[in-house]
Amino acid sequence: MRGTKIFAGSSHPELAQAIVDKLGMTLAPVHVKTHANHEKTIELGVSVRNQDVFIIQSGSDNINDDLMELLILVNSARSSSARRITAVIPFLPYSKQSKKKKSRGAITAKLIANMLTVAGVDHIITMDLHSDQMQGFFSKPVDNLLSEPLLCKYIREHVRDFRDAVVVSKNAGGVSRVTSLSDRLKLDFALIHQDNTNAVPPPVAATNGFVKPCTATRLPPTDSLAEIEVIAPEWHEDGLQLVGDVQGRPCFVVDDVLDKPATFIAVAQLLLRRGATRVMVLATHGILSSDALAQMEKCDAIHDVIVTNTYPIAPEKRQMSSKLRIMDASAVFAEAIRRTHNGESISYLFHTSL
Amino acid sequence: MSTNSIKIFSGNAHPDLAYLIARRLGLDLGKVVVSKYSNQETSVTIGESVRDEDVFLVQSGCGEINDNLMELLIMINACKTASARRITAVMPCFPYARQDKKDKSRAPISAKLVANMLTVAGADHVITMDLHASQIQGFFNIPVDNLYAEPSVLKYIRDHVPNWSTDSVIVSPDAGGAKRATSIADRLGIDFAIIHKERKKANEVSRMVLVGDVKGKAAILVDDMADTCGTLCLAAKTLVDHGASAVYAIVTHGILSGKALQAINDSPLTQVVVTNTIPHDDKKVKCPKLATIDISATLAEAIRRTHNGESVSYLFTHAPE
Repeated sequence: MRGTKIFAGSSHPELAQAIVDKLGMTLAPVHVKTHANHEKTIELGVSVRNQDVFIIQSGSDNINDDLMELLILVNSARSSSARRITAVIPFLPYSKQSKKKKSRGAITAKLIANMLTVAGVDHIITMDLHSDQMQGFFSKPVDNLLSEPLLCKYIREHVRDFRDAVVVSKNAGGVSRVTSLSDRLKLDFALIHQDNTNAVPPPVAATNGFVKPCTATRLPPTDSLAEIEVIAPEWHEDGLQLVGDVQGRPCFVVDDVLDKPATFIAVAQLLLRRGATRVMVLATHGILSSDALAQMEKCDAIHDVIVTNTYPIAPEKRQMSSKLRIMDASAVFAEAIRRTHNGESISYLFHTSL
Repeated sequence: MSTNSIKIFSGNAHPDLAYLIARRLGLDLGKVVVSKYSNQETSVTIGESVRDEDVFLVQSGCGEINDNLMELLIMINACKTASARRITAVMPCFPYARQDKKDKSRAPISAKLVANMLTVAGADHVITMDLHASQIQGFFNIPVDNLYAEPSVLKYIRDHVPNWSTDSVIVSPDAGGAKRATSIADRLGIDFAIIHKERKKANEVSRMVLVGDVKGKAAILVDDMADTCGTLCLAAKTLVDHGASAVYAIVTHGILSGKALQAINDSPLTQVVVTNTIPHDDKKVKCPKLATIDISATLAEAIRRTHNGESVSYLFTHAPE
């Protein structure tokens, strides 16, 4: 692509390399120096005057350092007279903090949006934002790419009995994501609700940390047995409630971010108890911090863990896990970059897998 | 030195609600003349001094929605240039809230545009209720207090639905509202279900799928907004087909435009309950199934607390008497 420079931050060099390989380009040189006090100095190794600049930086375990690096990269391109600066952020950091949690919360995602704009970015390309409304936080155009076509393709090619499967949301907030996927694959869906007030107190053995204590368990009325059944139906277990039917079918548990595995494990165990044949966990961003992967490896209820490569996963983690499958999203980003540069529509990418 | 006192003005969108709010606060509405020139431009005259006052402007997003929005913007600006100390826009129903994301290619985020317009006009603070998506708070650079009708809805269910604790189920009419429904179901300690419009095959008319059990129970549909009521009526039919003994619908913002009233009358809905964020007294005459929850007390209390610099989070869980 003529008049284009693509730079990569240090968060996810592997993905950046895969993207430029697909575009038949090389990464433009950039020198990042970290001072003793952890400040960063950045020097672009090539002129960007009047160029179309793309900067690829995802989140990573050093999330604040990488964010700062991205902001400095954007700003140095801006002060070096780049014509247009597009930040390619496969996993946008802080995107889960997109609303006030009841009282006195900060909307940190909005702060990040403001910071990027102030640094001088003209356009943002990202994937599967935690909420679609976040595009409105930016005063610059945001292209929110979808991993859904990729997920569908993977499921169609790798899961033989997917037509019998049920797509499961592990909480009420993720239902729209799940119904969208189930519509596309023409499958049934179910959802799981963490119900803390209606639950039967879990037996002590089943309490493994994540179950919040029941604060307001109502006493069963004494007049009739039938009423007791209404209050505590059999599918209230461990404070989890399954709405929908999974008997004898494989399940896909789908979410946008896969970080702490506790709920995924609890959900998978519940699904197996309710008669599911197999549980596959699918997520766009596999953050898998600390020993998340090891815990899922140990859990017999989860059979596969499928994520994309938007977030860097350390090679030793990847080797250790027999359940982890990584889908390559680099082609989607490469095509989005190419289309953005050429001024072509990118809506094709919302429904077609590359 | 004058003490910083409070002034409440109302636009033409919903004067009844503004009156209820002012009465609860023991105040009179401020004098304002909002009229139109012959070419339909809006003209605003603030009839009393607002210099160094804490000004609250009550204007809901309803009826002639663009005219009402324009009215609000001009009123804000009039107060700003008249040296008001602080201007709070009280918008019980936030206009354009449904256009909050790029759900299709090239779709505008009009809710953000409205947020920008309010800020530019000079608003310092916004009080609203049950935003379609709470992320809209992030569209503003000024503080937004998003109040909840939920405490009032809970009170209504406890007071008006017979045997609610054993014989009713909360139902979300679409996937996006599942969180709202589960929150209410949790607070009441009852079960919930969800309805989804499903397209199993291409070219097949979408059908409704019910996930959860409602047999022999009263189903209570909850949502933030009801406009043409097509989905609501179809959902009611689905629930009755699955054995629900009665179907209530409780909705915060009852826009009820188009053929909504006819659709409700013809549907198996037992009752449709809306709050008075939007005027609907004339609609009640045509549709006997409509009932009202008065939320003026919540708004009034939020105004009082904002003026006095007290916390409003109490109102997230409690309905003022």
